[in-house]
Amino acid sequence: MSLHPMYARPRDLEQASELLASLSSGAVIIAGGQEIMPYINYGVMMPDVYVDIGGIDALRGVSAETDEVSIGPLTVHRDIQNIEEIVETLPLLAYAAKQIGGGMQVHNRGTIGGNIVAMHPLYDIAPALLALEADVELLSEKGSQRMSLAELQDLSNHGLGTSSILTKILVKPMSPTTLWGYYKLKNSAGAYGSANAAVVIQLDGENIKSIRVAIGAATEKVVVVSANLDSYLGGPYSSEVGLAIQKTCSDAIGEPLSDQQGDGVWRKAMAGVAARRATEMALGKLNNSSSNG
Amino acid sequence: MVKGKQLSESYVGQSVRAKELRAPLVGKAKYTNDYTFEGQLYAYILRSPHAAAKINSVDLSGAKKISGVHLALCGRDIFEHTNGITDHLNPAIFGGKSTRLPMMAVDEAWCYGQPVAIVIAEDERTARYAASRIQVDYTLKEPVVDAEKAIAKGARSVVPEWDDNVLIYVPFMNGDTQAAFDQADKIVTTDVKIHRFSSQPMETRCYNAVWEHDTESITLYGTCQNPHPLRLVLAETLRMNENKIRIIASTIGGAFGLKMHGHPEEPLICLMTKLIRRPVKWVENREECLLIGAREQQHKVEMAFDSDGNMTGLRDHFLANIGAPSACPGWGMAFLTGLTMPGPYKVENIDVHMNAVTTNKPSWNAARGYGKESTAIALELAMDNAARQFGISPIDLRLRNFITKDQFPYPSPTGLVYDSGDYGGVLLKALETIGYEDWKDKQKAALAEGRHIGIGMAFELTPEGGTIPGTMVAGYDSSSVRVGPDGTVRVLTGITSPGTHNGTAIAQIVADELGIDMDRIEVLQGDTNSSPYGFGNYSGRSTIVGGGSAALAAKDVRNKINAVAAALLEVEIETLSLSEGIFSSSDNGDATLTFAEVCYASYTRAYDVAMCIDPPLEATRTFKPPGISHLPDENGRINPYPSYSNAVYVVVCEVDTETGKIDLLSLAAAHDCGKVINPILVEGQVCGAFAMGLGGALTEDVQYDANGVQLTKSFKDYVMLRMADMPSVGMAHHDSPNPDNYLGLKGAGEAGVGGSAAALVNAVNNALEPLEVVIHEMPLTPSRVWSAVQNANNSEGVK
Amino acid sequence: MEDLLDISALIQLRVDGQFHELDVLPSRTLLDVLRDDLGKKGTHLGCKTGHCGACTVMIDGKVAKSCITMAATLSRAEITTIEGLADDDGSMHPIQQAFWDEAGLQCGYCAPGIVLSSLELIQNNHNPSTKDMEVALAGNLCRCTGYQSIKRSVTEACVRMYPEEK
Repeated sequence: MSLHPMYARPRDLEQASELLASLSSGAVIIAGGQEIMPYINYGVMMPDVYVDIGGIDALRGVSAETDEVSIGPLTVHRDIQNIEEIVETLPLLAYAAKQIGGGMQVHNRGTIGGNIVAMHPLYDIAPALLALEADVELLSEKGSQRMSLAELQDLSNHGLGTSSILTKILVKPMSPTTLWGYYKLKNSAGAYGSANAAVVIQLDGENIKSIRVAIGAATEKVVVVSANLDSYLGGPYSSEVGLAIQKTCSDAIGEPLSDQQGDGVWRKAMAGVAARRATEMALGKLNNSSSNG
Repeated sequence: MVKGKQLSESYVGQSVRAKELRAPLVGKAKYTNDYTFEGQLYAYILRSPHAAAKINSVDLSGAKKISGVHLALCGRDIFEHTNGITDHLNPAIFGGKSTRLPMMAVDEAWCYGQPVAIVIAEDERTARYAASRIQVDYTLKEPVVDAEKAIAKGARSVVPEWDDNVLIYVPFMNGDTQAAFDQADKIVTTDVKIHRFSSQPMETRCYNAVWEHDTESITLYGTCQNPHPLRLVLAETLRMNENKIRIIASTIGGAFGLKMHGHPEEPLICLMTKLIRRPVKWVENREECLLIGAREQQHKVEMAFDSDGNMTGLRDHFLANIGAPSACPGWGMAFLTGLTMPGPYKVENIDVHMNAVTTNKPSWNAARGYGKESTAIALELAMDNAARQFGISPIDLRLRNFITKDQFPYPSPTGLVYDSGDYGGVLLKALETIGYEDWKDKQKAALAEGRHIGIGMAFELTPEGGTIPGTMVAGYDSSSVRVGPDGTVRVLTGITSPGTHNGTAIAQIVADELGIDMDRIEVLQGDTNSSPYGFGNYSGRSTIVGGGSAALAAKDVRNKINAVAAALLEVEIETLSLSEGIFSSSDNGDATLTFAEVCYASYTRAYDVAMCIDPPLEATRTFKPPGISHLPDENGRINPYPSYSNAVYVVVCEVDTETGKIDLLSLAAAHDCGKVINPILVEGQVCGAFAMGLGGALTEDVQYDANGVQLTKSFKDYVMLRMADMPSVGMAHHDSPNPDNYLGLKGAGEAGVGGSAAALVNAVNNALEPLEVVIHEMPLTPSRVWSAVQNANNSEGVK
Repeated sequence: MEDLLDISALIQLRVDGQFHELDVLPSRTLLDVLRDDLGKKGTHLGCKTGHCGACTVMIDGKVAKSCITMAATLSRAEITTIEGLADDDGSMHPIQQAFWDEAGLQCGYCAPGIVLSSLELIQNNHNPSTKDMEVALAGNLCRCTGYQSIKRSVTEACVRMYPEEK
């Protein structure tokens, strides 16, 4: 808690990592600031040190190789929405980024890394990345470590703190035959999501080969549903299958959130509805190949 | 689009461009927080985190140690040196209770957020940090949060010296309602729950109190709707002479009642500058602003009908949860809700009771509609409910029961006298504007596909220009018109603008009266040192009394100018004409004079040609609308409103029954605000009010936990409508001018919140009628709508 | 590592065409710097949580909420505020003129933010649909107008800024 905080802008990752290791608990990492500034403005957070990672070039840039797309965490949402490499190889992610609230202002300054490390239950990036089975790379005192985003979500409760820096987001490019959908249920245009469902489906002819659903905003942590959907694999999609997916996803919500947007009972049901609608959106692509969601 | 005025046209009635809009567009408007003075200090207020607690001690030492802190005080420190805050509207005048209203809590905190201590420092961050160092020792008390529990037997009194928690009980009775109910063919009961929501203007409150060393007086720069009345409050509370206080209300970023006086911070910040002799600024943050709310009322509306659907009796015993005691006029809203019953309906037997219940919630302040919006919500939801139960159209039921065109002036059962109106005409116009029949067809087609479209309508009666005897809520106001030697004009008026540009409307009126170009007129408002004594803006009064008084003053000055022109041209006054700034006379051929020449002569020829007048070219006049009567009738009732604007709002929406989400498809409003001075400004008001009412009905909600701690702290939780939520609003006028007011003005600006909210609820219930779902509790969030649909499905078995 | 830490940061901003080198404390937002250090009061404080958009400015040509932008992180940036739109001789930018003529504001408090967000939209899309406007203005709240006159103003601004593209 400090009235006179210090500020540092490390030049590179090595400097940043060393600095963070040397600091005690009162430090925060800042990039775009869209997440932490409201807390700073109200005095809810009063860090002793701000470590500004905005000057570290290694954290920028997007490169798409055949088997992996590497996204720098400082990439802003607007670029995630528009950069050719992401639109073409990770269309689900580009679309989810378009659903982020706060307007163009937040899209211009908010970073994908900041969004991820905030681990805010109501955000849009994590469900999309979890549906895509993304990995992350973290740098800490112990060196660089790669893990799945799902694993990171399990490890942390809220935010990453300053024990490590998110250095890369790594996603396998989506195959052109992969169908995807994203459905964000919110009460009104300015509301946060109440159920954000990302769906990735692989078809084999007319039959479902694989389906993976990630649902955010319904629980404290994003819920990934795939195992329980096994029973629908091998057959075609139908409205019955849709309703079954809905029920499975709703059942997967153990402790739904309850806030001013809606209570837990409703949210649990909405998780299912959002999942089904995202699935319908994904499959709509079959019928109308010109639709872009 | 605004248009240029044609030669012979008057300004009144034209969508003239408002001058006041230029400054904010170039970033040069002066809002209160834009003023910073030499030696500026900043205040931060420490507030109670508990809804009800005894304050055992306040230890300020931790705050005082922080470098940059100039002063730290708590309620006990200032108690003896100040008076309680003067009420905006004292309940005791009307038989209610009163209590001393402190600037900061002394021995106990009676709501979450009540000021407990204040820190003055070099900057706001330091002040806030220092405030976090203050130690307050509280003993928690059992919070009284729910209105029904607050009036139950044995409930703890929020105000220790009161016997109970009823701030004021007011009955509104007329005729023999019991007989009407006994003889009724049908009784329809509707439980309407209106929630607590808030105006939340984009600019929060700000007060910057400056100690003037030369005159040993205070200048308060403040976001104040009523500068002159506030000046008196400050004088009384701070034990100062009123003539030692000046208030400057510069450009205000929206008010909607939230900035009417009574807030503890008003005298508190002034006290700080008095003590410290340096300017002290306080900027309300959004979390603090969200503490202010209104409208939480529970109505049990009972309507007695004969078999033809004529309403023969109305009963409504309602509770208003007005929160902790306050000097703000919030409680008066509940009073107005009752006084405005039975709205536009001609039922004469009424039995309406209002209980304004004090609880440990943060206090109400006035909010747009001032209680009349809640009358509309209660009545219109009940009317639709009745229509459904009768199986007749909601249009027919209303037309059957509206006061008719020929019944005006109409004496209402509560003592009001409605001036003019054509309620049926307004309803039909609104329905025509939305394209009602087309939407009915679309609704049918949608239902066949399993989709639920709903069409809802609601009427809102808005008495405007209100005045309450014995209070500073006054029905009259004054303006000065001053024409200078160069022929340009200053208008100073006692009314203020919250951002509605009544200044432009007044300039239009004065330009027409003086016969000159509007560009030659400046309207000045908000400075108590220069404006004539006035009461500010509220209740849609600004154009009625501000415009009315400016017109009278302008006429006086015009008469003087005419006299001098006639003298200069050596003609009779009747032969004069003024066109495009030039005086000429049918009696004097080619002789002409410019307006400016005449004005100059008025000032410089006082002893010869202009001796027919008294210089200067200035006049101050007051307009007292004749429709107001404060002398009680034989039943002890008064008519405190001179004019009665009214409107019908229509909403078309689609309900997604699977999620409960409501999408707005089309909106329309037809309104009667008497004469319209500037259509583009009035339409802007209607549209804005629509968005505010719909926001209230759909998403806006101020919530508390069981202990009375406020949960709604930011716009994350308090969600207002954005552009993407609002379809276009089709608008129509259906004006019946007030015969007594200048130009027939009835006032605009206040109406719309209730009618639009009610229309939305009615639309949703209309959409869900096939499912036999009815919701009368607001807001209609998706989870509420969804639950209602689920419950209906469950009770009907599997659908 | 101690030499990395500092009590303040030196930043270089060109604000509405004027160059400033400022030593800012990390606790200061861009809004604080604009209003208090540079005396530019045209940009407003509405919520301090980044929801209302009254604080909107352009940073390097793109809209941003200045109340949630830490000034220290802007080592070199070009800032445009509402006060930077008019010409040096005071004549209004066509978008300002359009908002004035169409009464696209009432109290004016949200207007600077709305105008800049609209300007970014129109610069990228000379003929935006209502849906485009809704997306562009998703981060801006208005409490007075109900948004109708704002839509009119944006359409009118397009006509004035790009008359050949009807």
